[in-house]
Amino acid sequence: MEIITIKSLIKNYDGEGLEVHALRGIDLSVRRGEFTAIAGPSGSGKTTLLNLIGGLDIPTDGTLTVAGNNLAGMSAKELSDMRLNSIGFIFQAYNLIPVLTALENVEYILLLQGVGKSERRDRSRRILKEVGLAKEIDRRPKELSGGQQQRVAVARAIVSEPELVLADEPTANLDQKTGAGLLDLMHDLNHKKNITFLFSTHDRMVMEYAERLISLTDGMIASDKKKKSLKESAEKKLKKQR
Amino acid sequence: MKLFKESSIEVMLAWRNVWKNKRRTILTLLTIMVGCSMIIFFRATQDGSYEKMIEDSIAANTGHIQIHEKGFWDNQSIDYAFIPGEPLQSYLDKNSGIAATSRRVHAAGLVSFKNNTFGTLIQAVEPEREKKVSTLHTTIKPGGRYLTPDDGMRIIIGATLAKNLDAKVGDSIAMISQGFDGSIAAGNFEIVGIFRTLNPRYDQALIIMPMAQAVETFTMMGYLTSIVVRVKNTSDMEKTRDEIRALPESERLEVMGWDELTPELIQAIVMDKLFGYIFYFILLLITAFGVLNTVQMSVFERTRELGIMMAIGTRPRQIVTMVLFESMFISLMGVLLGAAVGSGLGYYFYIHPFDFSGYQKELEQFAMVTTVFPAKLTVSNVVFTSLLTFLFGVLFSIAPARRAAKLNPLKAIRQL
Repeated sequence: MEIITIKSLIKNYDGEGLEVHALRGIDLSVRRGEFTAIAGPSGSGKTTLLNLIGGLDIPTDGTLTVAGNNLAGMSAKELSDMRLNSIGFIFQAYNLIPVLTALENVEYILLLQGVGKSERRDRSRRILKEVGLAKEIDRRPKELSGGQQQRVAVARAIVSEPELVLADEPTANLDQKTGAGLLDLMHDLNHKKNITFLFSTHDRMVMEYAERLISLTDGMIASDKKKKSLKESAEKKLKKQR
Repeated sequence: MKLFKESSIEVMLAWRNVWKNKRRTILTLLTIMVGCSMIIFFRATQDGSYEKMIEDSIAANTGHIQIHEKGFWDNQSIDYAFIPGEPLQSYLDKNSGIAATSRRVHAAGLVSFKNNTFGTLIQAVEPEREKKVSTLHTTIKPGGRYLTPDDGMRIIIGATLAKNLDAKVGDSIAMISQGFDGSIAAGNFEIVGIFRTLNPRYDQALIIMPMAQAVETFTMMGYLTSIVVRVKNTSDMEKTRDEIRALPESERLEVMGWDELTPELIQAIVMDKLFGYIFYFILLLITAFGVLNTVQMSVFERTRELGIMMAIGTRPRQIVTMVLFESMFISLMGVLLGAAVGSGLGYYFYIHPFDFSGYQKELEQFAMVTTVFPAKLTVSNVVFTSLLTFLFGVLFSIAPARRAAKLNPLKAIRQL
């Protein structure tokens, strides 16, 4: 069953008098539970595609259905509600609210959803434990390493058990070891909870972890490959490097 | 309660954001504190000095209320004399809000001593009753005394007039005026006391004589030109004045409150208040701009953070609420500090008033009779000023809060 259906998606920007064609007609379907990476060089349109899927940007043309919602014609409030209830976001860096602790950052989503206090606390603690941060729950982002911060971001993205997690270059600011750990974590969550993960990346390691790799070039899909258990080969490679 | 629950996350975030940049917050708090405390303190000194000026004016000679024959006040002539009727006399005797009353006769005249002659205002009083409505008897210079009912051809005169006449206590001066019946009223009067009030006009022109003698000298035949009323509480003046005005015989009388008797004082107070309000408004603007600047900077610094919050599902309304709560917290803390400091200053200067007695001569040149100015701290001053400062702070934060809520999450996230 598809969680994302994209047909003839076009996105143009006005860039200093020149029209920039960021996406030139994308057709794409993503099924529930996929662990997919969108790769491509800078300016290929991968972040634009992710933003459109996340309802953060409006397409110039084409249709886009996410988690059963046709994004065309949705109001800002409806898009906001959809992001809150159906999508988890992980950004490149500086993901977290600095004045909240790790636990509160995770809880924040549940609080916005109106989940009761005790359930909120329990779920947040549990998820932080799952991402290996049981001892860091009371620390604020500045007291955490980059990798730990991204783990909190992952915990926040999945705590409400969304149908889809969008991750924009999640390993870009992490060293290889920390990045691999984070990918392991997301891969496990993908398998355990059947959460769909969609990455934009130009990190080789992410591409290797992905079970489906979509390459974008100049706003168009250049290739779309489904693979099996690349994680294992990546792990082998990592072991050799270590 | 529901609203509070819904806002609890915004409240918590706002409180923590306030302390994210402690230095800036403390500086903003200080700005609000200084603005709020200055307004409270200046208003307290204004209120205190107005009250003192009014009290000094009332106490010296004016009284809270004066009752005259219609037309007296404009003409200040003995021709406008009257005999109070029974209802008026009864009201004045029985009203529990009235502290004292005194009857007076006023006449214009000339006084002469040696080769000096000056125009003067003669005021006949009932000495014992007069002591209860005015403080003039307390201003007699050493070597002299106040009048007694049996003083006959004896008077007290203002210090400046005595100096101009070159007269002293014990001297007899010639006085000429017009009697109520149109006859010449004249005689030699012995000076038994010289007064120096806080009002240079009294010192320059006023002569006071006993009523019993005035009845004879001016052929008053039971008539008088004014009744002076002192109420127990100044704030009751208007009520008492209106009650007297409602008496049937008041139709032929003019019943004037101290504010009508001393319009120049009221005008001075109104002008001073006006300038005060302009000054307070500027202070409020400065304070509010301080809050605006802090909130604006805080929002600007957190553009990416706000973008991420919106991207993950925070609604614009929640962003507005959060930013407004930040300004509310800052404004509230600043206002509480300001109220405390302003009240403290006001109380200190109530106990230790500003004393310009040493500059009395200089102040007299500006017709200022009051030289000691205590501050007067009122609850309404503290509450109203605090509320206004708080509201200015919050109102000025609406614009940056709305701007924060209108951020495009995508553009905001791209900012570092």
